[in-house]
Amino acid sequence: MQNTKGLALEVRLSAYLDGEVSETERKELEQLVARDDEARMLLEMLKAGNAFGNKAFEEFLHDPVPLSLVRRIKQGPGVNPKAERVVNAAPRQTKVRLWPRALAASITLLLIGSSTGYIIGRTSNDGTPSVNVAAARTWLDDIADYHRIYSRQTAEHLVEVPASSGAKIESWLASSVGVSFSLPDLSTRGLTFEGARLLVAGGKPVAQLMYKNEDGDVFAICFLKSKPGTSDGNMAESIRDDLAMISWQKGGASYVVVGPSSDANLQQVADTVSTAI
Amino acid sequence: MRPAAESNEFRRDLVSVLPKLRRFAMTLTRNAADADDLVQEVCERAITRNHLWNGEGRLESWIYAMTRNLWIDEIRKRKVRTGGGTVDAAEQDELSVEASGEKAVYANQLHKMILSMPEGLASVFVLVNVEGHSYREAADILKIPIGTVMSRLSTARMRLAAMITETTERRA
Repeated sequence: MQNTKGLALEVRLSAYLDGEVSETERKELEQLVARDDEARMLLEMLKAGNAFGNKAFEEFLHDPVPLSLVRRIKQGPGVNPKAERVVNAAPRQTKVRLWPRALAASITLLLIGSSTGYIIGRTSNDGTPSVNVAAARTWLDDIADYHRIYSRQTAEHLVEVPASSGAKIESWLASSVGVSFSLPDLSTRGLTFEGARLLVAGGKPVAQLMYKNEDGDVFAICFLKSKPGTSDGNMAESIRDDLAMISWQKGGASYVVVGPSSDANLQQVADTVSTAI
Repeated sequence: MRPAAESNEFRRDLVSVLPKLRRFAMTLTRNAADADDLVQEVCERAITRNHLWNGEGRLESWIYAMTRNLWIDEIRKRKVRTGGGTVDAAEQDELSVEASGEKAVYANQLHKMILSMPEGLASVFVLVNVEGHSYREAADILKIPIGTVMSRLSTARMRLAAMITETTERRA
């Protein structure tokens, strides 16, 4: 616990927010906030700064970390720091989201409602609601969410249709998502086919083929029909927390291979899938 | 030398903290290119010195302290070489965003604005407020007094609060 007596009020309130003040100081500051409009406004501003900063810095985690670096760490005997710059290893893709504007608007409204009212001597009890606007999600966001859920399921619930129904899976998913394909044999990559699911991602039907490696890690191939006129594209790599994703466009369909971010061979898996599927 | 399995486990753990490590590096360097170089160097050093990691506490704390030290070294080298230091985010044309359109420009501006806070504010904010390190842990990682952690944190929060109005006005 810190002794904040004698420090500026915003510093003391900031420490109060973090639970870093003693019990005595906590009570003292709470009483101050209860009776002092300026202290209360300062506290609200600190909280608003917290919320804004948290959201903004969380967004940094969505920047893709190149798998080339992951592979170097995973496979090394050591990494060669300058041989492959992170900035050149993978095109950086920024997911543009609506949340900053929504957050700014909602927090500003909140500040106006709870703080400015005190300054102008009016009481505002209308409980200005915060505005919740959904972020612009892509089908890959949905796939990442699905993977986190399904990859933790027991073997019994991992898939919707088991691998033993291989031929049925091909015809079922091809007709459901509108993409013809062959089940890729990834045994050379150490992956065993477990079965398949039909998902909905980005508002469209998506085929999900599930594989496991010897360690029990779950890998998935997902694909859906692309919008008309979409041209083929290079593979794009990204890491989302514990997941790595490699996606590409080919033959009127969008594909993504998903696996643990710590796996060093995902690129080879994606190469095999791209050829075999 | 550590057993291979233990070393592999360390590498796996290191991979899992990469996104956070890159974010922390961005708060120090305040531009993407330097942050990426820094991350590379930190990873190399962490792997070669993983026998020094005792497995206690948070791996991030050990890695972050190393990151901070390497960055301070780099700044010193640059000052010797060129007489200059880093290029602040606010002075750069673009950060790491390659998307186009109004929304992308806005996202770019937001990143720039946050990273253009005076030196030291973003690092403290991320460590304490975003990642939940205690004041003591943040002070140890950044090698600054706890009092400095406290003052930087409150300043960062007030600056971020002011940005809410600023971003709203820019978008209006």
